[in-house]
Amino acid sequence: MSNLTSRLSSLARCANQHILASFNMGRASVVSTESRRPICSSAIRQQESAEEATVTPKTSSREFSIYPPMPGEDSPLRWGGMKFEDLPIAHIKATYNNTHIQVTDHSGQYMARTSCGAEGFRNVKKSTPIAAQTAGISAAAKAQAKGVTFVRVVVKGLGPGRLSAIKGLTMGGLEVVSITDNTPVPHNGCRPRKARRM
Amino acid sequence: MARHLRFVARTVMVQDGNVDAAYKALNRVLSVDGILETVKRKRYYEKPCRQRQRENYENCRRIYHAEMARRISFLSKANRPDPWLGC
Repeated sequence: MSNLTSRLSSLARCANQHILASFNMGRASVVSTESRRPICSSAIRQQESAEEATVTPKTSSREFSIYPPMPGEDSPLRWGGMKFEDLPIAHIKATYNNTHIQVTDHSGQYMARTSCGAEGFRNVKKSTPIAAQTAGISAAAKAQAKGVTFVRVVVKGLGPGRLSAIKGLTMGGLEVVSITDNTPVPHNGCRPRKARRM
Repeated sequence: MARHLRFVARTVMVQDGNVDAAYKALNRVLSVDGILETVKRKRYYEKPCRQRQRENYENCRRIYHAEMARRISFLSKANRPDPWLGC
């Protein structure tokens, strides 16, 4: 019984190596010049040559990391000729009743400001994603009038307009480069209001 | 977060204008760090007695789920060495 299982596993191993060798030989053109040697020794060499052939096309395409470029180190990424630190910022404050959007430049100087109430929505309609989207579109229009194309987004708060405001900015024509979350998290500071009993 | 460097933490870059994927990645990062549930919990005050009850409940729930997952993975193991080998 044990002999049968060991023979089966060795057969499977040889079959796998054969399949792997034929697959690698199909991919890498350099390998076909090599002479046909016993499978076990050539499989490893073919694997290495296949890896070398596939590594080079990956490094030629730009690698994308979800982490932003650090303020100290230099990175080759530029948006509209500007570095990451010089891009204007769009602050989005998404409260539970309303959504405010303010576009500033990299130092914090005011450029454009709107909110759902400024768009004409009243009371309960301000706390909807559609109102946030219209506010985003109007803020994008006002910012483009001042010559802004690429923008970093800073979101504050967990409200209904959190995602749709960013969508509105992109629909209005601004290019979003990065999204930061600046929701205030107290390390047990001020005491919030009492729990609601419904 | 005025005392921290800005645009270093809790930041996600957008690839090829795909804002939805970037937002999803940001949400995943925040939920793994436990920030989303902290913000929701701190909206209203939670009395110390309620907090103790909640911590106790979460601990028991965590132990129960871990134990159940362990037992299920043990029972669902199909490929194991033959226990009656050699007889």
